Amino acid sequence: MPLFQPASEAEVTRAILKGFTRDLERYAESEVVVVGGGPSGLMAARDLAKHGVEVVVIERNNYIGGGFWIGGYLMNTITVRAPAQKVLDEIGCPYEEFSKNLFVTPGPHACSKLIAATMDAGARIQNMTSFEDVVIREENRVGGVVINWTPVQALPHEITCVDPIALESELVIDATGHDALVIQSLEKRGLAKRIGEGGMWIEKSEDAVVEHTGLAYPGVIVAGMAVCSTYGLPRMGPTFGAMLLSGRRAAEEALKLLKKGVPAATKLPEARAKPVARKR
Amino acid sequence: MVPRHVYLYEDPSAVTLDLRRIADHVRTVTRLQVSVRGEYFRHHRPPDLDGLATQIAATRVTDLMRPHTRPPSLSPPLVHFERRLLEAPERRVPGVLYDGFLLQGIYRAALPPAERTKVAHVAITSRLPGTFDEADRRYHARAVILGYPALVSTSGIVEAPAKPRGFYVAKRGLRIDAADARYEALKEQYAGRFVDWDDPRLTLVAQGYALQAVFYPITGEPFCDDKDCVLFNAHWQEELLHAQIESGLLCARHRKVAEALRAGPDGRRTRPR
Repeated sequence: MPLFQPASEAEVTRAILKGFTRDLERYAESEVVVVGGGPSGLMAARDLAKHGVEVVVIERNNYIGGGFWIGGYLMNTITVRAPAQKVLDEIGCPYEEFSKNLFVTPGPHACSKLIAATMDAGARIQNMTSFEDVVIREENRVGGVVINWTPVQALPHEITCVDPIALESELVIDATGHDALVIQSLEKRGLAKRIGEGGMWIEKSEDAVVEHTGLAYPGVIVAGMAVCSTYGLPRMGPTFGAMLLSGRRAAEEALKLLKKGVPAATKLPEARAKPVARKR
Repeated sequence: MVPRHVYLYEDPSAVTLDLRRIADHVRTVTRLQVSVRGEYFRHHRPPDLDGLATQIAATRVTDLMRPHTRPPSLSPPLVHFERRLLEAPERRVPGVLYDGFLLQGIYRAALPPAERTKVAHVAITSRLPGTFDEADRRYHARAVILGYPALVSTSGIVEAPAKPRGFYVAKRGLRIDAADARYEALKEQYAGRFVDWDDPRLTLVAQGYALQAVFYPITGEPFCDDKDCVLFNAHWQEELLHAQIESGLLCARHRKVAEALRAGPDGRRTRPR
């Protein structure tokens, strides 16, 4: 007696096709498209989906998670500094305190938990899909992305003349890492300019990444390492707290722009609440 | 020029800064009228916030080795970033350097005509200004940009005066980008010997800079050469802490200036308001 119930090859094909087209039809028009499925992109998508936003993540690789699987030097222990360990608590990823305010966890555990949390929240992920360009609307506002299968880009043009398709959205989050591909596409049109990863002497680069996260161009929010090349901030080492909290800040900014409230429970601490001085 | 009124402006990102205490101190030392106001661009808010954001973004230094000039065009991300900061000055963004004099010009342009003469404005801000030094051909962060208005930078108080030499020797041995925890440990080793972010001594230090800002239009001298005077221009954090906290006093020469101020224009003692 076979373990599995019978299903014909044709039925399996139909199941794949229908499932995929149903999803594609849904996110052909989304509220937010996140370009890049690394830690900042996933975090942004998770927080947005948790607040009922229609969001899809575009990832050019087959695997999701970007550099979050691996720490530094191909060693798969990742580090986060306080307060980013609270995100690990939220997604149910165990960790240890290595030293005061510095936490470690296996990359595969953290990454898989974040991917699962993102999908559990209701975000869709489209992998093996490369960002090709932006959709431009009135007054040069960005209104979506142009995508194609990643393998198409990898093959010579002569044998793969495949036109891309477009996804419309109210907002695009550029979470493409150092390349800042969305901003780069605007740069090619002369609409924006990346400063490039810079050489300032600052010591608090993680803070700077989170605080620079936000609307960078009408319709485009930058998050994660894309922030560094957009604003000329120094690159960081293999510590991921800023990526997670930059993703969270990107979601907060998107919710504001979409005019949806940010529940206090997940909101990043507003820098500081200080009463405005009275006039004397 | 003796100002008839001194206005101090809040930096909402500096949680340990007590502006009223600074105002009391300036009032006690000078007997001038001193008032406290909210954040500078909240108080002097122009109707075109995007225009202001664009102007400020144009002062952002992108190359430390060249004197900054306003770029012919600005990338939208820089403008959006400044707009967010103007809307939420409670946010503190470390590591962005602005050309101090260009930035000061933007602050100056925001002042109403009625407050442009015989009034001292001291804008306490988290923005980090720098000035280009022709001697070594590079920008240096500054804690204060004296003039009209004066900018006192809470980021500059932390970043501009150098920390103890041993700190930098030890820091050189760390790969800072990968070793923030070790960097924090190093800071703990030197704790107390420099002003750090959210330092409880910030108010004491800032009140010295506020006095510098008020004395400058009166004496015409930007700084004092006496290391024990709160008007001393400290290049090292240890000098800063000595002048502002260990000493905390004006030198004999500047005490006379303060006494003259307290006596009023005709020599009669005026009542502080």
